[in-house]
Amino acid sequence: MKKELKIKETQTKQKEQKRTNPLAHVFDDFIDFCQSKSLFMLHYCTGCGAIELPPAMTSRFDMERLGVQPMVTPRQADILLVTGYVSVKTLKRVILTYEQMQSPKYVIGICSCTVNGGMYWQSYATAKKLNEYMPVDVYIAGCMPRPEAVLEGLHRLKHNIKNDRKEQKGSAWKDYYQNYDYYLGNQQNLFGDEWQTPVDVIAEAKLYGLESDGTYGENTKKLEKVQQPLLEQEMKIRMKP
Amino acid sequence: MSVIELISELIFMPLIAFVVGLMMVLMMRKISARLQRRIGPPFFQPIYDIVKLYGKDTQISHGLIHDIGIVMAVGGYIGAELLLPVPGMEGIADKGGIITLSYFLMIPSLGLALGVGQCANPNGSIGISRALTAMLAYDIPFIIVVFGAAWHYESTSLVGMIEYQQAHSWGIVEMPFLAIAGLFALQGMLGKQPFEIYIAPAEIATGPMVEMSGKYMGGLFVMQTFQLYTAGVLYASLFLGGGESWLSLLPKAFLVVAIPMSIAFMFPRYKTEDLIRILWKWPVMLALIGLAFIL
Repeated sequence: MKKELKIKETQTKQKEQKRTNPLAHVFDDFIDFCQSKSLFMLHYCTGCGAIELPPAMTSRFDMERLGVQPMVTPRQADILLVTGYVSVKTLKRVILTYEQMQSPKYVIGICSCTVNGGMYWQSYATAKKLNEYMPVDVYIAGCMPRPEAVLEGLHRLKHNIKNDRKEQKGSAWKDYYQNYDYYLGNQQNLFGDEWQTPVDVIAEAKLYGLESDGTYGENTKKLEKVQQPLLEQEMKIRMKP
Repeated sequence: MSVIELISELIFMPLIAFVVGLMMVLMMRKISARLQRRIGPPFFQPIYDIVKLYGKDTQISHGLIHDIGIVMAVGGYIGAELLLPVPGMEGIADKGGIITLSYFLMIPSLGLALGVGQCANPNGSIGISRALTAMLAYDIPFIIVVFGAAWHYESTSLVGMIEYQQAHSWGIVEMPFLAIAGLFALQGMLGKQPFEIYIAPAEIATGPMVEMSGKYMGGLFVMQTFQLYTAGVLYASLFLGGGESWLSLLPKAFLVVAIPMSIAFMFPRYKTEDLIRILWKWPVMLALIGLAFIL
């Protein structure tokens, strides 16, 4: 299995080098364009910022004309909106949700609380900077930002999606695979060394050829020690007596 | 009919259905936006959605049956398109007839049930059990309507039915009760309010679609375009006289699809048992009365 994966990686690297044809990226550009035009949004409404989303979605500001639609499960979503402060207990759920989303995936942090803790700076139970635990594409600062600011942030995200590959900036979601050790370390600092999610990020990075030097490190070694393989759950039907 | 002609029809009928279905999806979203006093999505939004979903970098498959289920869901409707005569193209419509067509319309739900079953997500299982129950509910009036229409036109072939209507008068004039019962069944078939308990985004997270990501969701979006087209054209052929040309068929089909969407937002949602009760009571009663007039 490992050999096959290695072959796959080298093949993809060679492909990227070979592309000198000016028309080689037409299809990629088209997909990028469509991705920027159609964004399904999963909002994790943790704090007070969530109250600014209904006006942004409904008749006053109407997000749907930008192609942004609310979705209800992480599998279908492209954007994870974190609206407000993230307590330590909430952050676990946010990370679980983020890892279940399918790439390319984007994170938007709304409100000052996600930027630097905001008014919860001195709180013992609040995670201060969201981008220490997962890569954030766009921050929308404000306490709380108005719907215009939210739409402006979405416009910025759309612009980034359309132009990131052309300008060779690299996408934020790839950073989670490429620097997984850094993000995992910060997560372990908060949740303890036995922290483990159902999604095997390292295996995914290997499968899609996204691993780099930053994927492995001290923290992933710690994870390997405690990591339990995911087993199939036993089928049980509980009958009422 | 030569072989080449037949093959070209078999290719073009689903293709046209897909393009018209995309327009119908757009129309539905525009209607719901207008009813809520919004502007609504841009013109090419349905295409953007489908291309984006197929262009996802990572895909989660839950196994072989999950893959096959989606193929069945889309394939069932593609099969249905080939049996649905449209102006200028009959495909294999004269071989199948409306009975085969109504069997084909059940395949997508069953395929979806197979696919969702392997996802092992409790929300999905609840959703698909509700969807199959809803199918049981709306199929009874639908089958009575189809039987009544076939009895009245003295033909089980859709081609024959359309010819009869164009020679005499439209089905909706000659059997109004059956036409109304058919509209009821259509509302359930398209899964619009008040019969959308199996989707229920806020409660069971879109039910059957809960584990669908990337190309699987894209497949379901494609399925939706076919579903709308089939529902619109089938109803138009049964009751609105089909069409001599595309210009007369398409407005009828669009009108039929617009009706469920326009009245959907007036209703809340029925529980599953209430859904069966209302669909087995009113539309079935109307359809039986309509049948009594014909027989």
